[in-house]
Amino acid sequence: MKAAAIKPIALMLSRELLQSALLLLGVSVVVFVILYLAPGNPFSAPLEGQTAGQATLAGGPEVLSVPQAWYDLYLAWLGKMLHGDFGTSIRTGLPVLATIGRIGLNTLILTLGSMVITLLVAVPIALHAAARGDTNLNRSLTLLAYVVSALPVFWFGYIVIYVFIHQFGLFPLISGSATGQKHVWLYFLVPIVVLGIGNGSLSEVIRTLREEMSRVLAEDYIRTARAKGASVWKHAFKEGLLIPVSEIIAAKIPYILGGAVIVEQVFNWPGLGRMAWQAAQDRDFPVIMGIALAAAVFVRLGSLLQRMVFTAVNPRASKE
Amino acid sequence: MMKTYIQRPGEIGDFSELPWWQKAGTTDLVSVGFGLVIVVLVLVSYLLGSLHLLPYDPQQIDVEMLNAPPGSAGHLLGTDFLGRDILARLIVGIQAYFVPGLLAIALSLTFGTALGVLAGYLEGTADRLVSYFNNLLDSFPRLVLILLVIAAFKPDIYYIMVVVGITGIPPVAARIAGKIRFLRDKNFIEAAHALGLPDRSIILKHLLWYNCRALLVIYATLGMGEAILMETSLSYLGFGVQEPVPSWGNMVQAGANYFMQGKFWSSTAPALAILFTILGFHLLGDGLNNILEGKRGR
Repeated sequence: MKAAAIKPIALMLSRELLQSALLLLGVSVVVFVILYLAPGNPFSAPLEGQTAGQATLAGGPEVLSVPQAWYDLYLAWLGKMLHGDFGTSIRTGLPVLATIGRIGLNTLILTLGSMVITLLVAVPIALHAAARGDTNLNRSLTLLAYVVSALPVFWFGYIVIYVFIHQFGLFPLISGSATGQKHVWLYFLVPIVVLGIGNGSLSEVIRTLREEMSRVLAEDYIRTARAKGASVWKHAFKEGLLIPVSEIIAAKIPYILGGAVIVEQVFNWPGLGRMAWQAAQDRDFPVIMGIALAAAVFVRLGSLLQRMVFTAVNPRASKE
Repeated sequence: MMKTYIQRPGEIGDFSELPWWQKAGTTDLVSVGFGLVIVVLVLVSYLLGSLHLLPYDPQQIDVEMLNAPPGSAGHLLGTDFLGRDILARLIVGIQAYFVPGLLAIALSLTFGTALGVLAGYLEGTADRLVSYFNNLLDSFPRLVLILLVIAAFKPDIYYIMVVVGITGIPPVAARIAGKIRFLRDKNFIEAAHALGLPDRSIILKHLLWYNCRALLVIYATLGMGEAILMETSLSYLGFGVQEPVPSWGNMVQAGANYFMQGKFWSSTAPALAILFTILGFHLLGDGLNNILEGKRGR
């Protein structure tokens, strides 16, 4: 990267980091308020040293009778989290942060992989549609993308399991346990592809990319490039593909994470989605809280990355 | 085809006399038509279900006919794993999302419009606050936020739909704000101000009613699709509507146990119902968006 491009990025980065920190603070308030309003919430009764509320009630039972203001509880809770203490799971007794770090990797693989799949499907269709206009081929592809986007991903998962695993025996059913064999990574592909295709955002991704690319292709500078015989693709790439792709992917992270909850359920994928599901069933407050915060951090990181790409491509943006 | 510019109603400066359906593209009209058929089907089925005009009792168990294929012995769509009529359960399953979905839509449209007007009409702090709020809600994956609420309170469809409604606010607010920001400096608003019309009537009548009602219809349609998706997903996960009350989601889940035995139908019928209904609402919303608001929107 050229030196001139680094300064706007640094400027933008500091501003975006501040904004992300503010947003994460807001996220923590929302999570706190939801849990605080809950009946039998972790802040009203200490559970064997399990909860954040416990620290503030360290004085023992006699302190319990003193009602504490919600903001005191919140600050104590926030302070503990900032020190990396997210509490321990009520169900397993394991520290939440460490568990999320370990299991989160699986979800990261699933979601990042499925984003790649979504793009691998969407980008060619969108580019073809942008370059050629409304042909029968891409009209039917667009319609197909609509149908696929409305497909309930849980049922789609069963179909894939039945066809590829049960009927043809192409993959072992439980992907996580298939160790010690060759090409183990192949088995991980099934849920990734299912989520990539079935996360419900395919048609929207295609539509956005196509609109952006057609808009850019109609710009004057593309006409100039075409007139002087330069590569249209090279000129249209940054504004027509790179920026929209980063924007739509960053915007779709929450949806893909939501889809991951279901796909992990269908495929028994040992990730945060299954953990969140389990925690919601057990009312395991520290775990579900930790996962919600981790998800928010992931979303914010995605948007930060998107801003970085945008500023790197378009340094003018940092001066706004 | 694509290069021809079609003037769209609602666009400023559109003085074309043609009615909107003559200016719309064929694809959009087909989408809207399909969507309307689905909406009418859902409405009629909902009425049939709530008036108990069903071929079978959705709860009636028939041990002689477990997992019957479609068309067998008077069961038009077959039976499920307890021999209950799938068609009747599909029709009653609409009740699982219909009223809760409307609640979610009402929430997102009301607050989305209010915030959108604030952000679009006022500048500065209000605008910044609204965009902070939007970013805040965008930071949560919907399903995770819903699971958090379920863990905190209880797995109840109305709780779920309140969350769906609240998380549906940002897109509506952003779109309304964009539209109002675009309209604010137009001559007719300036004229309204010059005539001394009160802000209230400018906002409610000239901005919202004349220029944003199409947007609201579009977002109501898309919101229903979203509500159905969420309801069925959560019922599938076991948090929404519980057996024996039918929901399309828990029907897919119940039928899935028989999937590997080759008995697809009891799971596939509700899945197809979900597929076509969500597809219908999406196509209707997008088609209306293209026709009434122009391809790129505002």
